[in-house]
Parts: sequence; structure tokens; C-alpha cells
Amino acid sequence: MNFNSKLMKNLSDCFSPSGREQNIREMIINEISDYADEVNIDALGNVIARKKGNGKKVLFSAHMDQIGLIITHVDERGFLRFSNVGGLDADELIGLHMVFDKGLEGFISSEELEGKEKVTMSKLFLDVGSTSKDFVKANFKVGDMCVFQAQYYETPDCVKCKAADNRIGCYVLIEALKNHPATENDVYYVFSVQEEVGCRGAKTAGYIVNPDLAIAVDVTSTGDSEDGTKMDVKLGDGAAIKIMDKSVIAHPEVKELLTDLAVENNIKYQYEILEFGGTDAGPIHLSREGVKTGAISIPTRNIHSSGEIFNKQDVIECIRLVQAVAAK
Amino acid sequence: MFLKELTELSGVSGCEYEVRNYIKDKLQSIGCEYYIDKLGNVIAHNKGRKNKTIMVAAHMDEVGLIVTYIDKDGFIKFQTVGGIDPRVLNSKVVLVGENKIPGVIGSKAVHLMSKEEKGKSIPVDELYIDIGTYSKSETEKLVSIGDYISFKSDYVEFGDDLIKAKALDDRAGCSVLLELLSMKLDADFYGVFTVMEEVGCRGAQTAAFALEPDYAIILEGTICADMPEVKEHSKATIIGKGAALSLMDRSTIYDIEEVRKVEGIASANGIPYQFRTSSAGGNDAGPIHKTKEGAKAVAVSIPCRYIHSPVNVASKNDYNSALNLAKAIILDNQKGE
Amino acid sequence: MLKEFLFEVCSNQFVSGFEHVNGDMLKKYFEPYTDSCSKDMIGSYIFKQDGINNTKIMLAAHIDEIGLMVTRILDNGFLSFTSVGGINPSSLVAQDVTVYGRENVFGVIGIKPPHVTPEEERDKALKLKDLYIDTGYSRENLEKLVKVGDIATVKREPVSLQGTVISAKALDDKACVAVMLETAKELRKLSHKSNIYYAATAQEETGCRGSVTASYKVNPDIGIVLDVGFGTAPGMPPEICALGKGPIVSFGGRLNQKLTKKFIEVCKEYNYPMQYEAIPGGTGTDTESVQISREGVPCILLSIPLRYMHTSVETIDMVDIETTGKAIARFINELDNSDLEEILCF
Repeated sequence: MNFNSKLMKNLSDCFSPSGREQNIREMIINEISDYADEVNIDALGNVIARKKGNGKKVLFSAHMDQIGLIITHVDERGFLRFSNVGGLDADELIGLHMVFDKGLEGFISSEELEGKEKVTMSKLFLDVGSTSKDFVKANFKVGDMCVFQAQYYETPDCVKCKAADNRIGCYVLIEALKNHPATENDVYYVFSVQEEVGCRGAKTAGYIVNPDLAIAVDVTSTGDSEDGTKMDVKLGDGAAIKIMDKSVIAHPEVKELLTDLAVENNIKYQYEILEFGGTDAGPIHLSREGVKTGAISIPTRNIHSSGEIFNKQDVIECIRLVQAVAAK
Repeated sequence: MFLKELTELSGVSGCEYEVRNYIKDKLQSIGCEYYIDKLGNVIAHNKGRKNKTIMVAAHMDEVGLIVTYIDKDGFIKFQTVGGIDPRVLNSKVVLVGENKIPGVIGSKAVHLMSKEEKGKSIPVDELYIDIGTYSKSETEKLVSIGDYISFKSDYVEFGDDLIKAKALDDRAGCSVLLELLSMKLDADFYGVFTVMEEVGCRGAQTAAFALEPDYAIILEGTICADMPEVKEHSKATIIGKGAALSLMDRSTIYDIEEVRKVEGIASANGIPYQFRTSSAGGNDAGPIHKTKEGAKAVAVSIPCRYIHSPVNVASKNDYNSALNLAKAIILDNQKGE
Repeated sequence: MLKEFLFEVCSNQFVSGFEHVNGDMLKKYFEPYTDSCSKDMIGSYIFKQDGINNTKIMLAAHIDEIGLMVTRILDNGFLSFTSVGGINPSSLVAQDVTVYGRENVFGVIGIKPPHVTPEEERDKALKLKDLYIDTGYSRENLEKLVKVGDIATVKREPVSLQGTVISAKALDDKACVAVMLETAKELRKLSHKSNIYYAATAQEETGCRGSVTASYKVNPDIGIVLDVGFGTAPGMPPEICALGKGPIVSFGGRLNQKLTKKFIEVCKEYNYPMQYEAIPGGTGTDTESVQISREGVPCILLSIPLRYMHTSVETIDMVDIETTGKAIARFINELDNSDLEEILCF
């Protein structure tokens, strides 16, 4: 299996912050419609693709939204005020380049700060690079969203890009669906919306599908960088099988299933305990009477930045693990 | 090795009688001469070949707690006896007084703490012991001010040859000393089980005054900070690396020639040893080496992780190293010219 | 029997997400008094007493407890860990622990010696990341026994204190599972028309999760949620309830007022002692999720006063458990003989 850089670049560059997932939805449907038996879109905008079977219902979920900013005020002088969509801290934003849906850009600057004053969102503004009132008024509206501007970049083994969280999860599911194994299972590949603002899409998708087994596919942090995070996950050590995060304790049977499948199929794996954050597994496992749920994570450094870094071989291991679950 | 029995006894400084009685019994059964001095030290004499007067000391007492007050609802306030980090006290089961009334050390629920309180350790005067009574009079039937309180902590052998217990400081030393006395070596020495080390080495001073030793060996359970994220130079000792030899602490600068001699003895006998690379703390060597005309002193210690808490951890291998080394030192000092 | 039950379940682990490991222990005690047992998909156990009408009353008390989870295996047999549920790191210092690995591994959580700990450091509360479990093994030997993701708890034998007071780890909320056991026993003696469900819910400590799925499964008409509340001890605010004086009955924005009043009426009539507490908004208990299950469930909340919550020396008075269990049985019996619709209508 080779890493499809072109697909990943397209997914990463696709503008689709939470609540504005139309672009990525179209792109994904285009990619998968030839391979799925059914593709449905629910009321919130989740893509639910199905490979029909008479066996147990298996749900895979990867969220397709990304973090960004929403414009809250437009100053005709070309300064936009904003709020965050998803987990972003004000002090990480100064100096970043942002891009809007149609390609317009802005640069984040700050009001003058006194001494060691703490940076807050209300002190920041986006300079859109225009002194023309008409241009500003015509192009920027309250409610518009923007995302990081960043170049997709690869080394022989790794990728650095924006929105790897969680376009890489989407990539894994697309590739798994394209190579769907022969199986009796009734398999649902869900590309969910609004994960970054509280796993909202997964809640309705989980209710609709009502699966017997669910696996979320998302990124996880690593402890192999110098950023001080203490955890056992490393880039290049394979697919991460989730044990716990703040939203879910992986069902022990699912954890065992994933481990056994990894061992059987010679898939490189590691265990993941994430001491912050959650995934689609959270709402899915509490759907109706509960769902046996686990998660497969792609180890990723610098999550929620414009330079998220992951290892290509880890991605391939994740795809293989998804396929193994689909077939089991 | 008498460690299981010794560590399960209570013997907070000033109230060492359980330990003393146990040691007296053991000395009687091995047929060793002994007497009890005015402070309560047990002074045993192993008779044999003699060049000089040797005193081998291990202290019987342990750190613990003492009842200071009983409040109107029956809760017991206490103070620490000996140096205890208040952070080890939270949520422990304790035994109060001679009748060993079980109690638990409680504190405000974390949910009800302010952010500021959460960031701080809880000082001893905000902790209390709950024995399940509802009034002062009910508690007073069972407990009095001045009663000693010891931790309830079982002796457990675990991991690769490790021991966990309370009071390994210095029941480990007591156990080594009892073993030395039971060996009936042809080398003269006084085995002194001292009292009140943890509150200022009181017993060692009077025993040294009586015995006038030329040479003293202190057997101790000593500090060990070989935990993750402690820098190499701050670990003091390392578990499993052998008996620890002291160079200097707050009470004593050990005679360097004697220390080098001990090092030589250890090497010659293939006994693992290490140096105690910290000058914090003190022990019975302090008063002993300064009493009357003075004495040369060496300290042979067993590294104990989490010392002065209910969960001391030590290595059986280090214990054996300390025992073998102490034996070799005694024999070397009393060998014929 | 209640004490025997509590000593047994509190000596074992029921860490959130791992409740199933010792689930048979629950069955052993509940099966003699109930007609069937089922489970939801995330670990809750639901015992049922069959009734003769269509009304469903669900009692809920969480069976899970806070615990530790191994995050890294380090050199010299040390383990890093995180908490499962909210734990106070201060309560972990100088404790024995059991790591539930391939076999039960003994360990201790230690602290640097005071001799080399600067005064200002002693004044600071310890954080989880400062603590390690010391197993005494070499890393190589330890890796054969323990894996990342294995759980651990403080090792604590329950202790009988004076009178009927006991102390143990995880009495939050096993004390209330014991209340359910007492109610089940009582209702076997008294008659009941409703179907009674006893839900020992999973994963409350990680966000009231088991009660979401258990109440969806049962779909009850009435919820009686049981949890522990703060019991008085020195330094506590004056409104905190006392041990030994019966259940704490909660009033508040998320609880059904008429049902609560009915419970109080019954207690008064049958001379069961009780205490009151006002909770304006969120209760931090399974009530949060039971109340909004499906089309909604009217709930009351009863708490057993407990000292030193979320430590290994949680302390309660057994008398409160018995009183509460019996009062609930009587309450259900009275509900069965009342016009339920009238009580539940607004």
C-alpha cells in the first residue's frame, strides 16, 4: 500500500471548519461514491456511507471538520474581530496567516499589550490587507470563517500540514472503503461534522446507525516531542489503539479485539492514553443503550496548529487495522 | 532476619516498649547478656577477643504521631513525633494508643477546597483522626491526650527482593544487630538498641557515656531518593547498590581514615557498598562520637525509599550487605595483632 | 450482610470502565432478592424485581470507583499513571497500591525523604505527574506483568471503627449500592406492584455515562438516584449534614418536587430520620443523565453522608444505609398504593 499524497494534500487544503463542512463533504462523496453501496447525509450534515451486509453493524467514524475562526465584527478599515471555532488559545494566534473559503487571506495581529498583559481573543484582530472600504465590505461578513494558511509538505517518511486533525482520519476511512474487504458485516463509514466543537455530528450519526460495534478514527497526541507532553505514543510506532481519553474508556472487548487483530495481521500498534481531549467515540458509546466502542488513532504532533506532523507508515497501519475490523 | 516482626511493632520515640520487649525476649533466647539503662536503651554484650571497646548502635524508635487534643465531636488532633512531611499523612489508617484503636486520618474533601487550598499541602493542624465516635466523651473512653499513634502498614515482600514496611528506619538496623548478636562472634562488642533517636538522639548519648567506646558502628535505615526525575547527584543512595557508607551528615564528619578502611574491608570481602552522597540528616553517631573523650564512628546504612512515611522500601540484598559488612568490620577491629 | 457486602466489594476494584471484572460479586448478593439481571453495553448491571403493573421504578447507584491507570513503564520498576475520574493526588502519597496487571502486582506510591525536601516544596500539594508507583521490579521483569492501560487502586482493607462506623476506599458509591441491596431485601418482604430496577451504573466518575445508557435501556417512569454526600468533619461549612442521621434528601432545580415531598412524607410517617440539602443546579450525580433520558424521568436524589470523599479512607455510618434502604422500600410501597399520575402531573 502506498501513501496517496495527492489525496491527502487535497483533503488537508480543503476549507471546511466546523459547521461549514460543505466543501469537504463534496470532496469525500466524490472520492467514495463509486465504492459505497449507499451514501446518505443526515440533518447535521454527516456523510454516512454504507457497505451492505447481513452481519453485525460496524460503524467507523472520522470527523471531517477542522478548527478555525469565526468573524464577529467587521471594521471597514480592514480589521476583523473573531472568536474561535474549536480549541484554539489566543496566545497561539498572533502572527498566523489565515485563509477564507474563496482564498482571501488575513494576518493576525494584536492591540498593544501593556507589560505582561495576558493575550485574550478580544485583543486580537485579523488584518485583511486592504484600505478600501468597498473591498472590505464586499468580501467580509460577520459569520464568515477562516482557517490556518499553511503549505502541505512531505519528507520521505512524514507529512506536515494543517487539518491533519482529522483529514488524516478521513483519508484512512476513504482508503479503507476503497479497499473494503469481503465480509458479511454491515459496515458504515461515517464522516462526521462538528467534532471540534463537541462531537456533535457523531451523536446523531451514532443514533441513526445504532451499531453493534463502533470505532472512531482520529488523531492523538504524542510524547516523543520536546513539548513536555508525557505519554507513551510515538510517531512511527504504528496505529495507536485508544485505551482512554476524557470522553471514553474504550470497551475492554474492543481494545482486545483491536490488539488481537493487530497481532494476527502483523500490524504495528501501540496503546494510547490521552489525558485531555475526546473524540467521536464519546457520544457514540453513549448512544441509546450504549455501544461497544473503541478508537484507532493516528499519532500526530502539534495538534491544532498549522504544522501538524504525522508518519505515513503509521497511517498505513491504521488503514490495515480498520480493514481488519471491517472484515472481522 | 527479624524484620517482619520488628516492623509490625509500634515504637514511636519515647514509647519503645513493644520493640524493647521483643528484643529482650530474643536476647534471652539466644543467651546474650544485656541490661536496660535509665532511658530505656537495651545494652547487650557480645563477649570475645578484644582490642578496643566497640559499640554497635541501632535505634528502636520510629517516627509517628501523638494525641494533642480531642474536640467536641470526638475527633482527635495530633502532632508529629520526629520529622514527617505532612503530605504523607493524608488518608491513612492509624492505630491509636496502647489498645490500638483503629482510626483514619481525614481532611476536608477536595471538592470543598478553594483553588488556593488545593495548591497547598494540608498542614498537620488541619488534619485529624476519626475513630468513628460522635462525641468527646465517647472518644475519651478510648483515647487520652499523650497517646501515641502509629501507622498501620503491613510488611510486604515485593518486586525483585524488596521489602515494604513502616519503620524500616531503623528496625532494619535492629534486625541486623540482633543477627550479629546471635552469631556469637569471637569479637567483643556492645550491641546497643537506642531509644529516642528521632527526637534528637537522646538514648545514644547516655549509652555512649556508660560504655566509653573507642569505636562505634551505627546501623541505620537511611535516606534514598533514587526515584524518576530526581537528578543523579540528589539521590543520596540507590536501592540495590549495597550498604551505604556515610562521609558526612548534619551530626558527624566521619573519620575519613576509618571510612577508607571500611571501604577496603568491603572490597576485600566482595561486599557491595556505596557512599551516601548527601549530607542531610543525622544519626546516633552524632552524640556517640562526641561523648567524653570521643570515639571514631562509622555508619553502615540500608537505603530506604520513602523514609519517615508509612511505606518504607528497602532491598533484602542491601540488608545482607550491611549485615556482612558490619560483621567484617567488627572482626577486623578485634582481630589479633 | 450489608457490611459483608461492602467489605467484599470495597476490597476489590470497580474502576470506571472495568466494572465487569468483578461483576459476579454483585450478582452473588443481588440475585437472591431479584428476578433477573441484565447489562447495558458499557458496564452497568441492572437487577429487576418483577411487578404486576406497568410502572417502572429505577434506583440508580454507581458501582464504579475512581482509580489509576498506568501510562508509562519506566526504568527500575517505576510506573507513571493518570487518574480515572477525579482523584486528589495528596491522598495517594505513601499508600500501598495494587496494579491489576497480568497478575496483581504490589506497589507503593512514595515521596522523597523530608531530609532533602526544601520547606517551600513541602508546602506545595503534589500533582499526579510528581507521583510514581514503585513496584520494585526491574523494568524487564515488570514489562512481563504490566502493560500501559492497566489499572491500579490504593490497596486498603476496610476498617471497622467504633460503633457502626466503617472506613474503606470506594464507599463512594458502593454505600449506595448497599442501600439498593437493602431496599431489594425489604421489598421482598413488603409487597410491590411496580417493576423495580436496581441499576448499578458504570462510569459515573468519568461523566455519568452508565446512567445514560442504563436509563435508556430501562426507560423508567420514576428515578431514585442514590449517591454519597459530604458528611460533617472539622473545618466544614455548617450546612453539611451529619453521619448517622439518615439520608440527605435533596431539593433543587433538577429534582421532582412532588416526589421529593412524597418521600419526606413517608419518612415522617414511618419515623425514618432524614436531613435536607438544597442543590440549586447541577448535582454532579447520575441524576443529570437519568432525568433527561428519552422523554424525561422525574427523579429524586438521596445521599448517604460520607467523610473524606475520594480518598482511600471514605467513612460512613452503616446505620444510614439501613435507614435509607428501608425508607425507600416503604416509599415505593406507598407509591404503589397512591395515584401515581396525580403525583407526577404538573
